[in-house]
Amino acid sequence: MPHPFVVHRSTEGELSVLSLDGHLDAHTAPEFERAIQAEIDDGRVRLIVDGSDLRYISSAGLGVFMSFIEEVRDKGGDIKICGLVPKVRQIFDILGFPAIYDLVDSRDAAIQRFAEAPTREV
Amino acid sequence: MTVPLSVSRLEALLESAELLHSSLDLDDLLRHLLRSVMGRLVVSRALVAVEREGVLEVAIARGVRGVSAGQVFDRVEAERAGIALFVPIGQETAPVGVLGLGLPPTGRVDEPEVEFLRALAGLAASGIENARAHAEVQQLNRRLDRKIHELKALLDLVRALTSIEDPDEVAQLLGLTLAGQWLVARYAIVAEKPGHPVVNRQKATTLGWPVTWWDEVARWSEAVRVEDLPEGPARRTLELEEIEIVFPMRSATGPVGLVALGARPGGRPYTDADAELGAGMVAQSAVALENAWHLREVLEKQQIERELMLAASIQQGLFPADLPQLAGCDLAATSRPARQVGGDYYDALSAEVASPLSRWLLCVADVSGKGIGASLLMSNIQATLRALLGREASLAELARVTNELLYLNTPGNKYVTAILLAVDPATGWCSYVNGGHNEGLVLRASGEVEWLPATGLALGLFPGMRYDEPTLTLGDGDVVALYSDGVTEAQNAAEEEFGNDRLVAVVRRTSSEPAPRIVSAVLSAIDAFAADAPQHDDITLMILKRARPATQPR
Repeated sequence: MPHPFVVHRSTEGELSVLSLDGHLDAHTAPEFERAIQAEIDDGRVRLIVDGSDLRYISSAGLGVFMSFIEEVRDKGGDIKICGLVPKVRQIFDILGFPAIYDLVDSRDAAIQRFAEAPTREV
Repeated sequence: MTVPLSVSRLEALLESAELLHSSLDLDDLLRHLLRSVMGRLVVSRALVAVEREGVLEVAIARGVRGVSAGQVFDRVEAERAGIALFVPIGQETAPVGVLGLGLPPTGRVDEPEVEFLRALAGLAASGIENARAHAEVQQLNRRLDRKIHELKALLDLVRALTSIEDPDEVAQLLGLTLAGQWLVARYAIVAEKPGHPVVNRQKATTLGWPVTWWDEVARWSEAVRVEDLPEGPARRTLELEEIEIVFPMRSATGPVGLVALGARPGGRPYTDADAELGAGMVAQSAVALENAWHLREVLEKQQIERELMLAASIQQGLFPADLPQLAGCDLAATSRPARQVGGDYYDALSAEVASPLSRWLLCVADVSGKGIGASLLMSNIQATLRALLGREASLAELARVTNELLYLNTPGNKYVTAILLAVDPATGWCSYVNGGHNEGLVLRASGEVEWLPATGLALGLFPGMRYDEPTLTLGDGDVVALYSDGVTEAQNAAEEEFGNDRLVAVVRRTSSEPAPRIVSAVLSAIDAFAADAPQHDDITLMILKRARPATQPR
């Protein structure tokens, strides 16, 4: 029985916010991938991924972040991640995401990070 | 001599004991130890070395020139840098570390202070053990968490793969999973099976496919680090693409592709455990890929079979259900396709409107190609003949117009050879057009053989063709055989052809029998001749026999 997963899109000024809701796993990763691809195709590379309602993430889900980060940063943008619940945050930590991504608590903090560092150098 | 600890020293010791056991962080603990002794004894140089994997290593140093954390503890060097007092931490025989101190401004440390230091070092020893055990547990927990995550990732992948039927989606999922597992932004997944589109998913790489070093891939084990590869084209290409590790993809029949991954962040290497996990994921994906390919083949095969059945049913519908009864003549025909759908066609048509062609038109044709295309061409020629029959002044004209129409309506490589025979059953008068078809056979009752050779080119091949229309008259007992090349070119195991002579011989032998018997005799003769050799081409045969109705044997 597949778990439900939805990507909601909104904007904060010139930033695109993708809010993830549900289980981001191997089944649903392609949907998230399409959502990010659509942003890039439309020339929007400053992306906030809001994980407040993300209940689970698998490697395939994390792979979506990795699949676009170079392209997004090459184009002068970034993917900032905010609002992860502790259980999900732990997976990001285990795999070493904080070394590569800005992981912040709130959407406001993510907006703030974009003001400070629109593109993070790794 | 043991000097009893003073009250102030006891108090300090208690405070330290509390601090040394409240923190499970080794660095915190050691910093506290140094602060305590340096403050109490008023020394400006101190260090702590801690045993790590059998070697004493400086863990923290303050004011000791040339000695810093991380280096191997060297007592002589420490003494040279002003460390004068060494207190073992833990048991004298097997200490977990050493506390080293410079001398206070007084130049000496009295015995009670040394005793105090020993007591403090004893407390520190158990603190260090605790902190170490804690760190170890934490590390184990982290490793366990990672392992659990890896297993979950593998499980998640395998579960998702079972519901995927598209090869590209298999590659997509594998790519995402590997990228997420190891935080790689650069990867390539390429796989190929003959008859299928190449599966190619690449991020930040442009690995051309197929690679020239493909035979090398076939020899690789489950995971290959590029740095371990011998110098050669494979290594050069992979280094150029900044690939660090490669997994060959194998199906049951052999290597089908490869998965190549770039660097992990921070220069972290792929461990053996990583290589093992990756190989497992790739192997699972290879199975899924093979299944997806297989499924596609099955579906395509079913589709082709459906088309062939459709074509066969179209074709069956084109053959006349019953041949007409021609007064004064006996007519029979059959067509046996070599495969499910052949390219032969026969018909017996009569003009519905009065015209010079208000006779019967017999036709045996062989369309180029097989399958649904041949069926469509066949129905095209049937429709054309039916539409034109009775409207054209002559058979030659009918053939000319049919040629033009087919030429205009079919691709250049499509054509039809056909022999058209117009028959007046009452008088036996005939005319014919042979458009590039086999010679028709006329066996006179006298035993004399005549042939009806080509009177023009195949229909639909070139525009502007003209056809001759010779005439002949059939007498009582004369037999006409119209047939496709499958009859005379039927082969036996020795690749000899049935040929005109055998055809003539069978027809001659059976010419006194009714037309259907002649037809079946020819087929039997072909079968007997071919024996076990497979039928290469469609076999179509039409027999027209002229006989007075009263004497026609039934």
